[in-house]
Amino acid sequence: MTSLQDMQRMVHDAVFETGPDGPALAAISEHIEPSDGFTAAEHLLIYRRAILGTLVRALGAIHPVCKRLVGEEFFDAMGRVYARQTPSESPDLGDYGENFGDFIAGFEPAAELIYLADVARLEWLWHRAFHAPDEDSIDVAALGAVAEADMGNIVFKLPISANLLVSDYPVHRIWQVNQDDWTGDQAVNLDEGRVRLIVWRRGHEMHIDELDAVAWSLLSRINAGQTLGEIGTAEGLDNLDEILPHCVQNGWIAGFALQA
Amino acid sequence: MTRFTDKPITGAGIGLRSRHYQEILDTKPSIPWFEVLSENYFGVGGLPIYHLERVRELYPVTLHGVGMSLGSADPLNFDYLARLKKLAEQIEPTYISDHLAWISIDGRHVHDLLPLPYTEETLAHFADCVLQVQDFLGCRLLIENPSSYMGYKEVDMTEWEFIAELVKRADCDLLFDVNNVYVSGQNHGFDPYEYLHSLPEGRVREIHLAGYEEQNNYLFDTHGYRVHPPVWELYRETIKHLGPVPTLIEWDNDIPEFEVLVDEANKAQKVMSDREAAA
Ligand SMILES: [Fe+2]
Repeated sequence: MTSLQDMQRMVHDAVFETGPDGPALAAISEHIEPSDGFTAAEHLLIYRRAILGTLVRALGAIHPVCKRLVGEEFFDAMGRVYARQTPSESPDLGDYGENFGDFIAGFEPAAELIYLADVARLEWLWHRAFHAPDEDSIDVAALGAVAEADMGNIVFKLPISANLLVSDYPVHRIWQVNQDDWTGDQAVNLDEGRVRLIVWRRGHEMHIDELDAVAWSLLSRINAGQTLGEIGTAEGLDNLDEILPHCVQNGWIAGFALQA
Repeated sequence: MTRFTDKPITGAGIGLRSRHYQEILDTKPSIPWFEVLSENYFGVGGLPIYHLERVRELYPVTLHGVGMSLGSADPLNFDYLARLKKLAEQIEPTYISDHLAWISIDGRHVHDLLPLPYTEETLAHFADCVLQVQDFLGCRLLIENPSSYMGYKEVDMTEWEFIAELVKRADCDLLFDVNNVYVSGQNHGFDPYEYLHSLPEGRVREIHLAGYEEQNNYLFDTHGYRVHPPVWELYRETIKHLGPVPTLIEWDNDIPEFEVLVDEANKAQKVMSDREAAA
């Protein structure tokens, strides 16, 4: 008798195989009971359709703007290619699609839409921020109480929900004009130039904030774990006295620790 | 074994869906309880869990999951179970349920419920997994019968024989999905009434009702329609046989206005009340 594990591996392989006459489908068909209406393979194919459908729907729910940009049919076909080559490693479907943006960047049929991969990355970061843990904002009093001599050892932290994204295309604008409740001008100028974004959540408020080059440089260094001492000597960050309070006030810095 | 809460549920409940949060919190409808999909609240913060906590302040809640993959040959995922336990401690559900199925193998998840070959090997394995999970969570699980669209050649027993034996070995409870039994019965050619009448006594704690979809030559469990007439008929027989077991209206796709769900729940409630009156 076939072991449970072997049976499950055969089913899995047949689900993710392409086409109606591959070896995996033939192998599992030996073990499936045909019925009045269906051959053994046709029974398995019901699951293949359902499972790919579930994965593609999950991608669509996380990436509604991408879907809108390419249309449902194109999106679903693209999603199926991704789903076939990308196993879901978590029992939580909300974890599925992390590298969809990277996949799109290499997906030949979408090559003309040069900004699509970054839109997908933005939507993914939005999704992650939406479901991130709650946290308090930075303790400004405690920060003010740090002794002069320890200042250089401060390691700031971005909000837990925050991620930085840089794109050569105006993906924030593309994202905005493709929201259901957007009533303004639909025009997007692709030559607007590079955008630097921080995607995060404060309380129940979602944020996509645009950063200038200096704030971007500071937050990137914080994100990389640099101390305030290291950041202070970095090129282009000589007006830290202005830029640091600016970032704190905007909520982009959510905490700090002192490096021993 | 204990439950997370001793507050019992009765009557016809509704599956909690995000598009109805606001309406429920604003109008506080007289629904006896809500069921939530556990995995939707695994994000530790943000709006979903905030809304769930507000709903929980007003209503009893049951946790229903698809992620345990109890029938998988893989070892149990204790990371998943820890997240579930944390949610249960936070929400204090009346019941925690998952399915007689598998959704993963070699750590790869398909997120759809795949049927099991009902063999002695599967039974021993499944019962052991249920025992481990119950031990870890500190409560009995409700195991739900799935809809299925394929069956295996090498089996030792029917699904209902498997369930009867499982209950003996794992001391678990059951969630009887009337729609699923009807769908599987149609797809595999068995009699759902025979299935119903062979359910182990005193173990069904909850019932599910949902709407299937007719595909070419088979029924698909879409959870996107009103409950169909033959399922209502089987439900009436179920309530006659099992008594007024708390019943949930499930609706996961093309989620309609809240009133539609209330309307379906009222129909289920009436079946239970009629049975009570007749008894
Ligand atoms: Fe169900």
